[in-house]
Amino acid sequence: MRASIKWLKEYVDFQEEPEVLAEKLTRAGIPVEGITYLGENIENVVTGKIVGIEPHPNADKLRICKLNTGKEELIIVTGAANVREGHIVPVALVGAKLPNGMKIKESKLRGEMSYGMLCSAAELNIDSKLVPPECRNGIYLLPTDTPLGVDIKPVLGLDDVVLEFELTANRADCFSVLGLAREIAVLTGGSVKKNMLNLREAGTEKAGSLASIVIEDQALCPRFAARVLKNIKVGPSPDWMKRYLEAAGMRSINNIVDVTNFVMLEMGQPMHAYDYNLVSKHKLIVRKARQGERLTTLDDVKRELTDEMIVIADEVQAIGIAGVMGGLATEVTDSTQNVLLEAASFHSARIRRTSRALGLRSEASGRFERGVDIVNITKALDRAAKLLEDMGACTVCPGVIDEYPGMVLPQQITFTAAEINAYLGTEISKQEMINILRSLEFELDTTDAEKIMVTVPTWRAGDVSRMADISEEIARIHGYDNISSTMPQGNTLRGRQSYMQTITDKVKDTLAGVGFDEIISYSFTHPATLDKLNIPADSKERSAIEVLNPITDDFPLLRTNLLGGVLETINRNLSRKNEDLKIYEIGRVYLPESLPLKELPEERLLLCGALFGRRQEMSWNTGRETVDFYDAKGAVENILEGLGVSDYQVARGEHHAMHPGKTAVITKGEAVLATIGEVHPKVLSAFDINRKVYVFELDMEVLAKEAQLIGTYQALPKFPAMTRDLALILPDTKDALAVMQAIKSKAGALLSEVRLFDVYTGGQIPEGFKSLAFSLVFRSHERTLTDEEVDAANKKVLAHLEKTFEAKLR
Amino acid sequence: MEQQLNDLRQTAMAELQDASDMEKLTEIRVKYLGKKGSLTSLLKGLGSLSPEERPRVGQLVNVVRAAMEEALTAKTEAIKEAALEKRLASEKIDVTLPGRKAAIGHKHPVTLTMNRIKEIFMRMGFSIEEGPEIEQDYFNFEAMNLPKDHPARDMQDSFYITEEFLLRTHTSPVQARTMQKTEPNQPIRIISPGKVFRRDYDATHSPMFHQVEGLVVDKNVSFSDLKGTLEMFVHEMFGDNVGVRLRPSFFPFTEPSAEVDISCVMCHGQGCRVCSGTGWLEILGSGMVHPHVLEMSGYDPNKVSGFAFGMGVERIAMLVYGIDDLRLFYENDLRFLRQF
Repeated sequence: MRASIKWLKEYVDFQEEPEVLAEKLTRAGIPVEGITYLGENIENVVTGKIVGIEPHPNADKLRICKLNTGKEELIIVTGAANVREGHIVPVALVGAKLPNGMKIKESKLRGEMSYGMLCSAAELNIDSKLVPPECRNGIYLLPTDTPLGVDIKPVLGLDDVVLEFELTANRADCFSVLGLAREIAVLTGGSVKKNMLNLREAGTEKAGSLASIVIEDQALCPRFAARVLKNIKVGPSPDWMKRYLEAAGMRSINNIVDVTNFVMLEMGQPMHAYDYNLVSKHKLIVRKARQGERLTTLDDVKRELTDEMIVIADEVQAIGIAGVMGGLATEVTDSTQNVLLEAASFHSARIRRTSRALGLRSEASGRFERGVDIVNITKALDRAAKLLEDMGACTVCPGVIDEYPGMVLPQQITFTAAEINAYLGTEISKQEMINILRSLEFELDTTDAEKIMVTVPTWRAGDVSRMADISEEIARIHGYDNISSTMPQGNTLRGRQSYMQTITDKVKDTLAGVGFDEIISYSFTHPATLDKLNIPADSKERSAIEVLNPITDDFPLLRTNLLGGVLETINRNLSRKNEDLKIYEIGRVYLPESLPLKELPEERLLLCGALFGRRQEMSWNTGRETVDFYDAKGAVENILEGLGVSDYQVARGEHHAMHPGKTAVITKGEAVLATIGEVHPKVLSAFDINRKVYVFELDMEVLAKEAQLIGTYQALPKFPAMTRDLALILPDTKDALAVMQAIKSKAGALLSEVRLFDVYTGGQIPEGFKSLAFSLVFRSHERTLTDEEVDAANKKVLAHLEKTFEAKLR
Repeated sequence: MEQQLNDLRQTAMAELQDASDMEKLTEIRVKYLGKKGSLTSLLKGLGSLSPEERPRVGQLVNVVRAAMEEALTAKTEAIKEAALEKRLASEKIDVTLPGRKAAIGHKHPVTLTMNRIKEIFMRMGFSIEEGPEIEQDYFNFEAMNLPKDHPARDMQDSFYITEEFLLRTHTSPVQARTMQKTEPNQPIRIISPGKVFRRDYDATHSPMFHQVEGLVVDKNVSFSDLKGTLEMFVHEMFGDNVGVRLRPSFFPFTEPSAEVDISCVMCHGQGCRVCSGTGWLEILGSGMVHPHVLEMSGYDPNKVSGFAFGMGVERIAMLVYGIDDLRLFYENDLRFLRQF
């Protein structure tokens, strides 16, 4: 909503500078987003009449104009093609300044002297949408009765300041100059000057006998009213009206259309003028559109309607889309003799849906969507009729046709000052509350000593309905700054987070400690990503939830895994030459029970990590080793250790996106804690990654279940340990874990720890074999061990390994 | 004999003076103090002295021995010290070479900011509540006083999955869920952090971002409590010198509603590009919980009242770290992530 200061001052006196006024309004909930000084940086531009035009001797496209500026005659060379002798135009004199920074000097154009410049709308910083079509390509042509030699700014209304409002959805009443004036009056201590509606109705034919209205569904249209105007003289509007419309961002068209727009801007009530003679049987019917019904709107676009929409129709056809735009067939033209002037209220949600469905937003639809003041409808009709009558553009037939089947009564609210003060935490006096509400034109009944009863103004009907709403009115006018700051009283509550949040924090701490950077990727994915991940057709990860209205083709689905986003992140980083990466994401994936969705899907919190490149940051003499499967596994072991998860099993595993020989699954009982692996080369190449990447996936909920955040203290050993090393050669098909478990089971109770400290193939080790070296630590909590018992245990282990693993001492 | 002793002392001391390594010192010790050493030999000659002379010379021998022992010890120390100094000098390194750091990972700036917000509110007695990211229309809109066709639904253009389910556009549904699972009218003090989704994608809008919303419901909760709580949050988050102002606004789920502005953290209120020259930055939406929202979740607005607020985590992170492009948060470029 745009409104000019001059226009506002027609209804309320105020002295405040625009900036001060804007701040006051903004701080009272009527946000001003911008202040535009029209005519800013225009100096020394006056009106002048072209009294002679001659061709330029040296240039075909230039002409030499003789200008009369009232005081003097000037020679100005112009390139504009639209000027003729007799035109009155804006003349930038020598020494003039223009908004684009141009300064006008005497100059020679192709050998001819020029003493100034003729100005176009753009050069005066006027939006070309707002000027008459004949002025759009070339010089701004002024009306023929424009006085000569006067400053252009008042002539074009450029001596005004425009406030641009970014109004909130609840303040439908402020989508009007009068509504804004009402707020300004409250904030500046002024009062609103209302329009006098002393119409002189003429003739004996009553409107009701000349036209009729039928509302088919009162829920869609609670009120519809019209007046009949005769003896129409279509012509230009008065300049003052043109200027106000332009300042509000609307172009002047003709007096009839301008008045409907003017009243809409002034009073917030959209209205429409039909050519009375073109409305079949002079009957307006408000009805649902028929499915597929067609209508050409005023913007000359043929539109197909649905039965969700409301139309205004005559006996034959639809002649307007209710609340959105009128039809071309019944448009007011230069030949119009009589007008049917209509104002109404429509079901706001319907208008909103219609305007969205048609992609057609108008000044009218914006107001109907927010809701208009139903009491205002006939007042607006009277105002428009009065304006046209005063311009001599019509005579007004007596009476209003007014279909208003269900009269809406104003809302009443009862409250006490104490309630309001308790709600706001204030000590505002009852009298101040009364003053504030009265200034906002609430009617008050204060006969009760305690209770105040207010009647809500009809223009606030959609917004104010209970005590809380009244408290807002009082708070915003009293000033939010004048409300003190306190802390909530009452019982102290435990501020805490859930166990899962604590687990998540802990895992993030662990991963940061071992060098992993956290990423957050979009929760969306794409079918191609699921293909790239090699996800089998029958996998749960394939039944991804589809978004009905995705924003781009990139994101039609919701993710079922984190790996896709992680690999895409790797690809992006590689393309930016970011090598050596350790990353992870903790986030939810969306796993529906069935599709299409019938209940909320499972949102499973997963962790996915990935790494490739150098193990350590490259530094002098270090950092040349690269990570492998065991770094990924180590990270997982760090996580599990951080959460106190122990006694888990590791086994070879399978994963559609991982190398079949380099995949491990960590389980505890039935629960799968983690899957670790090297990414399958096919998957890597699908993601365009030319490095070996190692990944791990964990389920946070399983982790949370198994976590033991606070462990129990183990007494420190009192007796020394004895260590025996076992270096074995055994077939390389034997897994280290099985050997380790065998050692543990055979070494007896004295074994406290087994450590694998070397893995070796090649060299002296025969083909198909490998060397594993273990360190066995024996210890008793009761005594110092003897060599004999430790050696005995060690021998027993070795004998078993020789038998079951074909192991030999190296 | 006395003369001999004195000569011996003099020669020994002179030799000691010249000694420069431990071998030489050992040699000197053996030569003079050893079993067959000069002093020992002299001592053996003590028997030939008269009984009168014996104690005096004996004492003198002891004095000489002590002096030599002392000198030997001192010299040993001096040589050790010199050797150590020499070794240390030879071990000099280039201390300006870069240190060997253990690689430490970095949490995402959204996580770091979210954690700070959570900590501040937990210290004020707020609990953390979470809810589903895919929501029912009922919780996302209806229970927040946004019936179908409400124009304010436009402000939060949504990703729908079906007529009934959508990606939540704010974390407010957690408020309704929390009230509905709590016994009616019991006090609530929560914040709900999490991902939210809106159908907007350009330089200043991301289809996914993070919010923290808060809810306080109890007997006698007032608008001034909202003001005090949010001011305390702002001062904890941005520092005590940051100005705070509340502006009337409109949200369907609160009444009265307020936008919270802070004085621009970049220009300290002078006006700059970040604050569009106004000196103020909008960081929070808030208000007294709309009575209808309380009613819909089984709370009685005649018995309790409450306030609610919400903020965008990326917005706060951008202000705290001076990040100027929203898209950086989801590109996950390591050069970005490793700065936090």
